[in-house]
Amino acid sequence: MPNLRHHFTAELEQLRLQVELMAVRVDQNLERMRDVVEGGDSTIVSVALAADDEIDAMNVSLTERCYDLLRREAPVASDLRFIVSVLRVLSELERIGDLALRVIKLAPDHNLIASNPPTYDILRAMADQVIDRYRDALRAWATLDLTVATELATPARSMDVFYERLLAEIMRLDGPDAARVAITIFAAGRALERIGDHATIIGARLRYLLTGDPDHLAAEVR
Amino acid sequence: MVGISVSNDTATDEGQRAMEDSADSGEPEIVAARHPAIKVHTEVRQPETTEDHDEKTFELRNVSVSYGGTVAVRGVSMDIFHKDITALIGPSGCGKTTVIRCLNRMNDLIPTARVEGELLYYGQDIYGPKVDPVQVRKLIGMVFQKPNPFPKSIYDNIAFGPRAIGIKGNMDEIVERALRRAALWDEVKDRLGENAYGMSGGQQQRLCIARCIAVDPDVILMDEPCSALDPISTARIEDLMQELKELYSIVIVTHNMQQAARTADRTAFFTVVSDEDTGSRTGALVEYDRTDRIFSNPSDERTENYVTGRFG
Repeated sequence: MPNLRHHFTAELEQLRLQVELMAVRVDQNLERMRDVVEGGDSTIVSVALAADDEIDAMNVSLTERCYDLLRREAPVASDLRFIVSVLRVLSELERIGDLALRVIKLAPDHNLIASNPPTYDILRAMADQVIDRYRDALRAWATLDLTVATELATPARSMDVFYERLLAEIMRLDGPDAARVAITIFAAGRALERIGDHATIIGARLRYLLTGDPDHLAAEVR
Repeated sequence: MVGISVSNDTATDEGQRAMEDSADSGEPEIVAARHPAIKVHTEVRQPETTEDHDEKTFELRNVSVSYGGTVAVRGVSMDIFHKDITALIGPSGCGKTTVIRCLNRMNDLIPTARVEGELLYYGQDIYGPKVDPVQVRKLIGMVFQKPNPFPKSIYDNIAFGPRAIGIKGNMDEIVERALRRAALWDEVKDRLGENAYGMSGGQQQRLCIARCIAVDPDVILMDEPCSALDPISTARIEDLMQELKELYSIVIVTHNMQQAARTADRTAFFTVVSDEDTGSRTGALVEYDRTDRIFSNPSDERTENYVTGRFG
Protein backbone atom coordinates (compact mmCIF):
# COMPACT_ATOMS: atom_id res chain seq x y z
CA MET A 1 0.00 0.00 0.00
CA PRO A 2 1.50 3.34 -0.96
CA ASN A 3 2.25 6.15 1.38
CA LEU A 4 -1.00 8.03 1.96
CA ARG A 5 -1.68 11.69 2.63
CA HIS A 6 0.77 12.99 0.03
CA HIS A 7 -0.87 16.39 -0.02
CA PHE A 8 -0.66 16.82 3.75
CA THR A 9 2.94 15.61 3.75
CA ALA A 10 3.81 18.15 1.06
CA GLU A 11 2.08 20.91 3.02
CA LEU A 12 4.13 20.12 6.12
CA GLU A 13 7.35 20.25 4.14
CA GLN A 14 6.26 23.51 2.54
CA LEU A 15 5.54 24.88 6.03
CA ARG A 16 8.99 23.85 7.24
CA LEU A 17 10.61 25.62 4.27
CA GLN A 18 8.53 28.76 4.83
CA VAL A 19 9.65 28.87 8.47
CA GLU A 20 13.22 28.50 7.25
CA LEU A 21 12.67 31.38 4.85
CA MET A 22 11.32 33.55 7.68
CA ALA A 23 14.35 32.56 9.76
CA VAL A 24 16.63 33.71 6.92
CA ARG A 25 14.87 37.10 6.91
CA VAL A 26 15.48 37.33 10.64
CA ASP A 27 19.10 36.36 10.01
CA GLN A 28 19.46 39.25 7.57
CA ASN A 29 18.22 41.68 10.22
CA LEU A 30 20.65 40.18 12.72
CA GLU A 31 23.43 40.93 10.24
CA ARG A 32 22.14 44.51 9.98
CA MET A 33 22.19 44.61 13.77
CA ARG A 34 25.86 43.61 13.73
CA ASP A 35 26.57 46.35 11.19
CA VAL A 36 24.96 48.88 13.49
CA VAL A 37 27.02 47.71 16.45
CA GLU A 38 30.13 47.89 14.28
CA GLY A 39 29.27 51.47 13.29
CA GLY A 40 27.43 51.09 9.99
CA ASP A 41 25.40 53.99 8.67
CA SER A 42 21.93 54.86 9.91
CA THR A 43 20.23 54.35 6.54
CA ILE A 44 20.14 50.67 7.36
CA VAL A 45 17.37 51.34 9.89
CA SER A 46 14.63 51.89 7.31
CA VAL A 47 15.65 48.75 5.41
CA ALA A 48 15.54 46.77 8.64
CA LEU A 49 12.12 48.18 9.56
CA ALA A 50 10.71 47.11 6.20
CA ALA A 51 12.25 43.66 6.63
CA ASP A 52 10.71 43.38 10.08
CA ASP A 53 7.26 44.18 8.68
CA GLU A 54 7.74 41.33 6.29
CA ILE A 55 8.81 39.04 9.14
CA ASP A 56 5.71 39.99 11.12
CA ALA A 57 3.48 39.34 8.11
CA MET A 58 5.07 35.92 7.63
CA ASN A 59 4.49 35.16 11.30
CA VAL A 60 0.78 35.93 10.95
CA SER A 61 0.36 34.06 7.70
CA LEU A 62 2.25 30.95 8.85
CA THR A 63 0.42 30.91 12.17
CA GLU A 64 -2.86 30.96 10.27
CA ARG A 65 -1.62 28.12 8.12
CA CYS A 66 -0.83 26.08 11.25
CA TYR A 67 -4.33 26.67 12.60
CA ASP A 68 -5.74 25.64 9.25
CA LEU A 69 -3.73 22.41 9.24
CA LEU A 70 -4.78 21.65 12.82
CA ARG A 71 -8.41 22.21 11.90
CA ARG A 72 -8.32 20.27 8.67
CA GLU A 73 -5.96 17.42 9.35
CA ALA A 74 -6.31 16.71 13.10
CA PRO A 75 -2.60 15.81 13.21
CA VAL A 76 -1.18 13.42 15.79
CA ALA A 77 2.23 12.12 16.84
CA SER A 78 5.17 13.68 14.95
CA ASP A 79 2.81 15.70 12.75
CA LEU A 80 1.21 17.28 15.81
CA ARG A 81 4.59 17.91 17.45
CA PHE A 82 5.78 19.47 14.22
CA ILE A 83 2.89 21.92 13.88
CA VAL A 84 2.90 22.99 17.52
CA SER A 85 6.68 23.36 17.26
CA VAL A 86 6.29 25.58 14.22
CA LEU A 87 3.91 27.78 16.21
CA ARG A 88 6.46 28.04 19.01
CA VAL A 89 9.40 28.66 16.68
CA LEU A 90 7.46 31.32 14.76
CA SER A 91 6.91 33.37 17.89
CA GLU A 92 10.57 32.93 18.89
CA LEU A 93 11.70 34.13 15.46
CA GLU A 94 9.37 37.09 15.67
CA ARG A 95 10.79 38.00 19.09
CA ILE A 96 14.36 37.69 17.85
CA GLY A 97 13.47 39.97 14.94
CA ASP A 98 12.01 42.57 17.32
CA LEU A 99 15.08 42.44 19.56
CA ALA A 100 17.42 42.85 16.59
CA LEU A 101 15.37 45.85 15.54
CA ARG A 102 15.66 47.30 19.02
CA VAL A 103 19.46 47.32 18.63
CA ILE A 104 19.26 48.56 15.04
CA LYS A 105 17.18 51.55 16.15
CA LEU A 106 20.12 52.59 18.34
CA ALA A 107 22.11 53.34 15.15
CA PRO A 108 21.85 57.16 15.57
CA ASP A 109 23.43 56.71 19.01
CA HIS A 110 26.40 54.69 17.82
CA ASN A 111 28.73 57.29 19.26
CA LEU A 112 27.31 56.48 22.69
CA ILE A 113 27.58 52.72 22.13
CA ALA A 114 31.20 53.03 21.06
CA SER A 115 32.19 55.70 23.57
CA ASN A 116 33.47 53.33 26.23
CA PRO A 117 35.97 50.75 24.89
CA PRO A 118 35.46 48.05 27.56
CA THR A 119 31.67 47.93 27.11
CA TYR A 120 31.95 48.32 23.33
CA ASP A 121 34.24 45.30 23.11
CA ILE A 122 31.80 43.26 25.15
CA LEU A 123 28.81 44.33 23.00
CA ARG A 124 30.62 43.40 19.79
CA ALA A 125 31.56 40.02 21.21
CA MET A 126 27.99 39.46 22.36
CA ALA A 127 26.63 40.36 18.93
CA ASP A 128 29.02 37.93 17.26
CA GLN A 129 28.15 35.19 19.69
CA VAL A 130 24.36 35.51 19.47
CA ILE A 131 24.52 35.55 15.69
CA ASP A 132 26.60 32.35 15.75
CA ARG A 133 24.11 30.85 18.13
CA TYR A 134 21.18 31.92 15.99
CA ARG A 135 22.83 30.41 12.92
CA ASP A 136 23.13 27.13 14.80
CA ALA A 137 19.38 27.32 15.39
CA LEU A 138 18.76 28.04 11.72
CA ARG A 139 20.99 25.14 10.70
CA ALA A 140 19.30 22.82 13.19
CA TRP A 141 15.88 23.73 11.83
CA ALA A 142 16.97 23.29 8.22
CA THR A 143 18.53 19.89 8.87
CA LEU A 144 16.38 18.73 11.81
CA ASP A 145 19.68 17.90 13.50
CA LEU A 146 19.24 16.55 17.01
CA THR A 147 22.89 17.04 17.99
CA VAL A 148 22.88 20.73 17.13
CA ALA A 149 19.45 21.16 18.74
CA THR A 150 20.65 19.50 21.93
CA GLU A 151 23.75 21.72 22.11
CA LEU A 152 21.57 24.77 21.57
CA ALA A 153 19.09 23.68 24.23
CA THR A 154 21.79 24.18 26.86
CA PRO A 155 21.99 27.89 27.67
CA ALA A 156 25.37 29.42 26.79
CA ARG A 157 27.21 30.21 30.00
CA SER A 158 29.49 32.58 28.12
CA MET A 159 26.56 34.87 27.33
CA ASP A 160 25.82 35.15 31.05
CA VAL A 161 29.47 35.99 31.68
CA PHE A 162 29.46 38.67 28.99
CA TYR A 163 26.25 40.13 30.33
CA GLU A 164 27.49 40.20 33.93
CA ARG A 165 30.74 41.86 32.81
CA LEU A 166 28.77 44.39 30.76
CA LEU A 167 26.65 45.31 33.78
CA ALA A 168 29.77 45.62 35.94
CA GLU A 169 31.39 47.93 33.36
CA ILE A 170 28.22 50.02 33.09
CA MET A 171 28.35 50.57 36.84
CA ARG A 172 31.83 52.02 36.44
CA LEU A 173 30.78 54.66 33.90
CA ASP A 174 31.14 58.27 34.93
CA GLY A 175 31.30 61.68 33.31
CA PRO A 176 28.60 64.07 32.04
CA ASP A 177 27.04 61.61 29.54
CA ALA A 178 27.25 58.58 31.81
CA ALA A 179 23.50 58.12 32.23
CA ARG A 180 22.74 58.31 28.49
CA VAL A 181 25.64 56.00 27.67
CA ALA A 182 24.59 53.56 30.37
CA ILE A 183 20.99 53.41 29.19
CA THR A 184 21.97 52.92 25.56
CA ILE A 185 24.55 50.23 26.28
CA PHE A 186 22.22 48.48 28.68
CA ALA A 187 19.41 48.46 26.08
CA ALA A 188 21.72 46.92 23.48
CA GLY A 189 23.23 44.38 25.88
CA ARG A 190 19.87 43.31 27.21
CA ALA A 191 18.49 42.79 23.67
CA LEU A 192 21.55 40.73 22.68
CA GLU A 193 21.26 38.59 25.78
CA ARG A 194 17.56 37.95 25.11
CA ILE A 195 18.27 36.94 21.50
CA GLY A 196 20.57 34.24 22.88
CA ASP A 197 17.78 33.04 25.18
CA HIS A 198 15.34 32.77 22.29
CA ALA A 199 17.85 30.76 20.25
CA THR A 200 18.09 28.40 23.24
CA ILE A 201 14.31 27.98 23.26
CA ILE A 202 14.34 27.14 19.55
CA GLY A 203 16.96 24.46 20.25
CA ALA A 204 14.91 23.03 23.09
CA ARG A 205 11.71 23.01 21.04
CA LEU A 206 13.50 21.35 18.15
CA ARG A 207 14.90 18.70 20.47
CA TYR A 208 11.38 17.94 21.73
CA LEU A 209 10.08 17.79 18.17
CA LEU A 210 12.76 15.28 17.25
CA THR A 211 12.59 13.07 20.33
CA GLY A 212 9.01 13.48 21.56
CA ASP A 213 10.40 12.99 25.05
CA PRO A 214 8.11 14.71 27.59
CA ASP A 215 11.17 15.52 29.72
CA HIS A 216 12.45 17.64 26.84
CA LEU A 217 9.18 19.54 26.77
CA ALA A 218 9.47 20.15 30.50
CA ALA A 219 13.07 21.34 30.06
CA GLU A 220 11.91 23.86 27.48
CA VAL A 221 9.20 25.28 29.68
CA ARG A 222 11.54 25.75 32.62
CA MET B 1 -2.56 -23.77 28.49
CA VAL B 2 -3.85 -26.09 25.83
CA GLY B 3 -5.90 -24.59 23.06
CA ILE B 4 -9.54 -25.53 22.73
CA SER B 5 -11.96 -26.15 19.93
CA VAL B 6 -15.61 -25.78 20.60
CA SER B 7 -18.65 -26.90 18.67
CA ASN B 8 -20.87 -24.43 16.93
CA ASP B 9 -24.09 -25.38 18.70
CA THR B 10 -24.75 -21.92 19.96
CA ALA B 11 -23.56 -19.94 16.98
CA THR B 12 -25.28 -16.59 16.67
CA ASP B 13 -25.56 -13.90 14.17
CA GLU B 14 -22.79 -12.03 15.91
CA GLY B 15 -20.62 -15.08 15.97
CA GLN B 16 -20.69 -15.31 12.21
CA ARG B 17 -18.90 -12.02 11.93
CA ALA B 18 -15.69 -13.08 13.52
CA MET B 19 -13.87 -13.44 10.26
CA GLU B 20 -14.91 -10.12 8.82
CA ASP B 21 -11.99 -8.37 10.39
CA SER B 22 -9.47 -10.50 8.59
CA ALA B 23 -11.12 -10.04 5.23
CA ASP B 24 -10.17 -7.76 2.34
CA SER B 25 -7.19 -6.13 3.93
CA GLY B 26 -4.48 -4.50 1.91
CA GLU B 27 -0.96 -5.33 2.87
CA PRO B 28 0.43 -2.51 4.97
CA GLU B 29 3.77 -1.50 3.61
CA ILE B 30 5.92 0.25 6.15
CA VAL B 31 6.59 3.68 4.78
CA ALA B 32 9.10 6.20 5.97
CA ALA B 33 7.88 8.71 8.52
CA ARG B 34 7.30 12.21 7.19
CA HIS B 35 10.29 13.66 8.96
CA PRO B 36 13.20 11.29 8.59
CA ALA B 37 14.97 12.95 11.49
CA ILE B 38 12.07 12.63 13.87
CA LYS B 39 12.77 9.79 16.24
CA VAL B 40 11.32 6.42 16.33
CA HIS B 41 12.41 4.30 19.25
CA THR B 42 12.77 0.62 18.63
CA GLU B 43 11.80 -0.96 21.91
CA VAL B 44 8.18 -2.04 22.26
CA ARG B 45 6.72 -0.36 25.28
CA GLN B 46 3.96 -1.61 27.52
CA PRO B 47 2.07 0.96 29.55
CA GLU B 48 3.34 1.97 32.92
CA THR B 49 1.08 1.20 35.83
CA THR B 50 0.30 3.60 38.60
CA GLU B 51 -0.24 2.63 42.18
CA ASP B 52 -3.91 3.51 42.26
CA HIS B 53 -4.69 2.02 38.90
CA ASP B 54 -2.88 -1.22 38.44
CA GLU B 55 -5.40 -3.97 39.06
CA LYS B 56 -5.33 -6.26 36.07
CA THR B 57 -8.67 -7.37 34.70
CA PHE B 58 -7.12 -9.43 31.90
CA GLU B 59 -3.65 -10.80 31.38
CA LEU B 60 -2.95 -12.08 27.91
CA ARG B 61 0.17 -14.19 27.62
CA ASN B 62 1.29 -15.13 24.13
CA VAL B 63 -2.28 -15.51 22.91
CA SER B 64 -2.70 -16.77 19.35
CA VAL B 65 -5.98 -17.45 17.57
CA SER B 66 -6.47 -19.50 14.44
CA TYR B 67 -9.48 -20.30 12.34
CA GLY B 68 -9.33 -23.66 10.57
CA GLY B 69 -5.56 -23.77 10.83
CA THR B 70 -5.05 -20.21 9.57
CA VAL B 71 -3.48 -18.08 12.24
CA ALA B 72 -5.46 -14.84 12.53
CA VAL B 73 -3.44 -13.25 15.29
CA ARG B 74 -0.23 -14.40 16.91
CA GLY B 75 1.59 -13.96 20.17
CA VAL B 76 -0.40 -11.21 21.87
CA SER B 77 0.78 -10.34 25.38
CA MET B 78 -0.84 -7.46 27.19
CA ASP B 79 -2.50 -6.56 30.46
CA ILE B 80 -5.90 -4.87 30.47
CA PHE B 81 -6.53 -2.82 33.57
CA HIS B 82 -9.54 -2.52 35.85
CA LYS B 83 -11.92 0.37 35.12
CA ASP B 84 -9.81 1.53 32.25
CA ILE B 85 -10.99 2.17 28.74
CA THR B 86 -8.64 0.18 26.53
CA ALA B 87 -8.78 0.79 22.79
CA LEU B 88 -7.63 -1.71 20.18
CA ILE B 89 -6.74 -0.04 16.89
CA GLY B 90 -5.18 -1.15 13.64
CA PRO B 91 -5.88 -1.79 9.97
CA SER B 92 -8.38 -4.35 8.73
CA GLY B 93 -7.16 -7.88 9.28
CA CYS B 94 -4.85 -6.99 12.15
CA GLY B 95 -6.67 -9.23 14.61
CA LYS B 96 -8.15 -6.67 16.95
CA THR B 97 -11.70 -8.00 16.65
CA THR B 98 -10.36 -11.52 17.02
CA VAL B 99 -8.63 -10.52 20.25
CA ILE B 100 -11.65 -8.74 21.73
CA ARG B 101 -13.78 -11.80 20.94
CA CYS B 102 -11.37 -13.97 22.87
CA LEU B 103 -11.95 -11.93 26.00
CA ASN B 104 -15.47 -13.29 26.50
CA ARG B 105 -15.03 -16.58 24.60
CA MET B 106 -17.09 -15.33 21.70
CA ASN B 107 -14.69 -17.18 19.41
CA ASP B 108 -16.01 -20.39 20.93
CA LEU B 109 -19.00 -19.86 18.67
CA ILE B 110 -16.82 -20.29 15.59
CA PRO B 111 -16.48 -24.04 14.98
CA THR B 112 -12.90 -23.96 13.73
CA ALA B 113 -11.60 -21.34 16.14
CA ARG B 114 -8.63 -22.31 18.27
CA VAL B 115 -7.21 -20.15 21.03
CA GLU B 116 -3.70 -20.80 22.32
CA GLY B 117 -1.68 -19.15 25.00
CA GLU B 118 -2.89 -17.96 28.34
CA LEU B 119 -5.81 -15.60 28.94
CA LEU B 120 -6.35 -14.79 32.59
CA TYR B 121 -9.32 -12.90 34.04
CA TYR B 122 -8.34 -11.69 37.52
CA GLY B 123 -5.75 -14.44 37.50
CA GLN B 124 -8.15 -17.18 36.49
CA ASP B 125 -7.76 -19.02 33.19
CA ILE B 126 -10.84 -18.00 31.25
CA TYR B 127 -10.48 -21.02 28.95
CA GLY B 128 -10.11 -23.44 31.88
CA PRO B 129 -12.08 -26.70 31.60
CA LYS B 130 -14.42 -25.85 34.45
CA VAL B 131 -15.23 -22.34 33.29
CA ASP B 132 -18.77 -21.84 31.98
CA PRO B 133 -18.69 -19.68 28.82
CA VAL B 134 -22.19 -18.39 29.53
CA GLN B 135 -21.06 -17.13 32.93
CA VAL B 136 -18.03 -15.56 31.21
CA ARG B 137 -20.29 -13.69 28.80
CA LYS B 138 -22.47 -12.49 31.65
CA LEU B 139 -19.48 -10.97 33.39
CA ILE B 140 -17.95 -9.77 30.16
CA GLY B 141 -20.65 -8.33 27.94
CA MET B 142 -20.34 -7.22 24.36
CA VAL B 143 -21.75 -4.44 22.23
CA PHE B 144 -21.50 -4.91 18.49
CA GLN B 145 -20.82 -2.77 15.47
CA LYS B 146 -24.42 -2.55 14.38
CA PRO B 147 -27.09 -2.15 17.04
CA ASN B 148 -28.82 -5.51 17.32
CA PRO B 149 -31.85 -5.16 19.58
CA PHE B 150 -34.26 -8.06 19.76
CA PRO B 151 -37.55 -7.55 17.88
CA LYS B 152 -39.27 -7.02 21.20
CA SER B 153 -40.31 -4.12 23.37
CA ILE B 154 -37.71 -1.83 24.86
CA TYR B 155 -38.54 -3.25 28.29
CA ASP B 156 -38.22 -6.85 27.16
CA ASN B 157 -34.89 -6.16 25.49
CA ILE B 158 -33.46 -5.15 28.85
CA ALA B 159 -35.30 -7.76 30.91
CA PHE B 160 -34.32 -10.62 28.63
CA GLY B 161 -30.82 -11.13 29.99
CA PRO B 162 -31.65 -10.89 33.71
CA ARG B 163 -34.59 -13.31 33.21
CA ALA B 164 -32.48 -15.73 31.18
CA ILE B 165 -29.83 -16.04 33.85
CA GLY B 166 -32.37 -16.06 36.66
CA ILE B 167 -31.61 -12.77 38.33
CA LYS B 168 -34.12 -12.20 41.14
CA GLY B 169 -35.46 -8.85 42.19
CA ASN B 170 -37.72 -6.12 40.96
CA MET B 171 -37.44 -6.28 37.18
CA ASP B 172 -38.84 -2.76 36.77
CA GLU B 173 -35.99 -1.46 38.89
CA ILE B 174 -33.41 -3.49 36.99
CA VAL B 175 -34.71 -2.15 33.66
CA GLU B 176 -34.80 1.44 34.89
CA ARG B 177 -31.31 1.24 36.38
CA ALA B 178 -29.85 -0.20 33.18
CA LEU B 179 -31.57 2.42 31.02
CA ARG B 180 -30.44 5.21 33.33
CA ARG B 181 -26.85 4.01 33.27
CA ALA B 182 -27.02 3.89 29.48
CA ALA B 183 -28.30 7.51 29.44
CA LEU B 184 -31.48 6.37 27.73
CA TRP B 185 -34.11 6.44 30.48
CA ASP B 186 -35.41 9.96 29.90
CA GLU B 187 -35.87 9.31 26.21
CA VAL B 188 -37.79 6.03 26.53
CA LYS B 189 -39.44 5.97 29.95
CA ASP B 190 -42.85 6.73 28.46
CA ARG B 191 -42.69 4.11 25.74
CA LEU B 192 -41.08 1.09 27.32
CA GLY B 193 -43.69 -1.15 25.70
CA GLU B 194 -42.89 -0.01 22.18
CA ASN B 195 -40.86 -2.11 19.79
CA ALA B 196 -37.14 -1.36 20.00
CA TYR B 197 -36.94 -1.26 16.21
CA GLY B 198 -38.74 2.07 16.34
CA MET B 199 -35.77 3.71 18.04
CA SER B 200 -33.05 5.65 16.23
CA GLY B 201 -29.73 3.94 15.55
CA GLY B 202 -28.01 5.79 18.35
CA GLN B 203 -30.80 4.92 20.77
CA GLN B 204 -30.69 1.29 19.68
CA GLN B 205 -26.99 1.18 20.38
CA ARG B 206 -27.50 2.66 23.85
CA LEU B 207 -30.27 0.10 24.33
CA CYS B 208 -27.73 -2.62 23.51
CA ILE B 209 -25.37 -1.09 26.08
CA ALA B 210 -28.26 -1.05 28.61
CA ARG B 211 -29.01 -4.68 27.77
CA CYS B 212 -25.38 -5.50 28.40
CA ILE B 213 -25.41 -3.61 31.71
CA ALA B 214 -28.66 -5.21 32.90
CA VAL B 215 -26.95 -8.49 33.79
CA ASP B 216 -24.50 -6.61 35.98
CA PRO B 217 -21.29 -7.29 34.11
CA ASP B 218 -17.73 -6.42 35.12
CA VAL B 219 -16.39 -5.69 31.65
CA ILE B 220 -18.03 -4.23 28.56
CA LEU B 221 -16.47 -5.11 25.21
CA MET B 222 -17.36 -2.80 22.33
CA ASP B 223 -16.61 -3.76 18.74
CA GLU B 224 -16.73 -0.54 16.72
CA PRO B 225 -19.85 0.58 18.58
CA CYS B 226 -20.16 3.90 16.76
CA SER B 227 -19.30 2.95 13.20
CA ALA B 228 -22.97 2.98 12.16
CA LEU B 229 -23.84 6.14 14.09
CA ASP B 230 -23.95 9.83 13.25
CA PRO B 231 -21.58 12.26 15.06
CA ILE B 232 -24.14 13.31 17.68
CA SER B 233 -25.01 9.73 18.58
CA THR B 234 -21.29 8.93 18.58
CA ALA B 235 -20.63 11.77 21.02
CA ARG B 236 -23.40 10.44 23.28
CA ILE B 237 -21.87 6.97 23.31
CA GLU B 238 -18.42 8.43 24.02
CA ASP B 239 -19.80 10.49 26.91
CA LEU B 240 -21.55 7.41 28.16
CA MET B 241 -18.29 5.44 28.07
CA GLN B 242 -16.69 7.99 30.38
CA GLU B 243 -19.55 7.54 32.84
CA LEU B 244 -19.54 3.76 32.55
CA LYS B 245 -15.83 3.46 33.26
CA GLU B 246 -16.55 4.44 36.84
CA LEU B 247 -18.33 1.10 37.15
CA TYR B 248 -16.93 -1.16 34.45
CA SER B 249 -13.77 -1.94 32.56
CA ILE B 250 -14.26 -1.18 28.88
CA VAL B 251 -12.40 -2.58 25.88
CA ILE B 252 -13.23 -0.98 22.55
CA VAL B 253 -12.23 -1.82 18.99
CA THR B 254 -12.36 1.26 16.82
CA HIS B 255 -11.28 2.38 13.37
CA ASN B 256 -11.72 5.97 14.45
CA MET B 257 -8.35 7.27 15.63
CA GLN B 258 -9.85 10.35 17.20
CA GLN B 259 -12.31 8.21 19.09
CA ALA B 260 -9.46 6.18 20.57
CA ALA B 261 -7.57 9.39 21.36
CA ARG B 262 -10.62 10.94 23.00
CA THR B 263 -11.94 8.03 24.99
CA ALA B 264 -9.24 5.51 25.85
CA ASP B 265 -6.81 5.45 28.76
CA ARG B 266 -4.62 2.93 27.01
CA THR B 267 -4.37 2.00 23.37
CA ALA B 268 -3.03 -1.11 21.69
CA PHE B 269 -1.96 -0.93 18.07
CA PHE B 270 -2.16 -4.12 16.01
CA THR B 271 -0.95 -4.60 12.48
CA VAL B 272 -0.69 -7.29 9.84
CA VAL B 273 2.60 -9.08 9.51
CA SER B 274 3.30 -10.87 6.23
CA ASP B 275 5.31 -14.02 5.92
CA GLU B 276 7.38 -13.59 2.79
CA ASP B 277 7.83 -17.34 2.33
CA THR B 278 4.23 -18.44 2.64
CA GLY B 279 2.49 -15.19 1.75
CA SER B 280 0.29 -15.58 4.81
CA ARG B 281 -0.75 -12.56 6.81
CA THR B 282 -1.15 -12.61 10.54
CA GLY B 283 -2.28 -10.01 13.02
CA ALA B 284 0.17 -8.96 15.71
CA LEU B 285 0.33 -6.51 18.57
CA VAL B 286 2.87 -3.82 17.74
CA GLU B 287 2.63 -1.43 20.62
CA TYR B 288 0.54 -0.95 23.73
CA ASP B 289 0.85 2.18 25.80
CA ARG B 290 -0.96 5.05 27.41
CA THR B 291 -3.16 6.66 24.79
CA ASP B 292 -1.45 10.03 25.06
CA ARG B 293 1.87 8.35 24.28
CA ILE B 294 0.46 6.43 21.32
CA PHE B 295 -0.88 9.65 19.81
CA SER B 296 1.96 11.99 20.74
CA ASN B 297 5.09 9.88 20.61
CA PRO B 298 4.57 6.26 19.62
CA SER B 299 7.60 4.05 20.01
CA ASP B 300 7.19 2.05 16.83
CA GLU B 301 7.42 3.52 13.36
CA ARG B 302 4.48 1.35 12.21
CA THR B 303 2.28 2.90 14.92
CA GLU B 304 3.44 6.37 13.91
CA ASN B 305 2.58 5.72 10.28
CA TYR B 306 -0.83 4.35 11.19
CA VAL B 307 -1.96 7.03 13.64
CA THR B 308 -0.75 9.82 11.37
CA GLY B 309 -2.77 8.25 8.57
CA ARG B 310 0.19 7.44 6.35
CA PHE B 311 -0.83 3.87 5.80
CA GLY B 312 -4.14 2.28 6.36
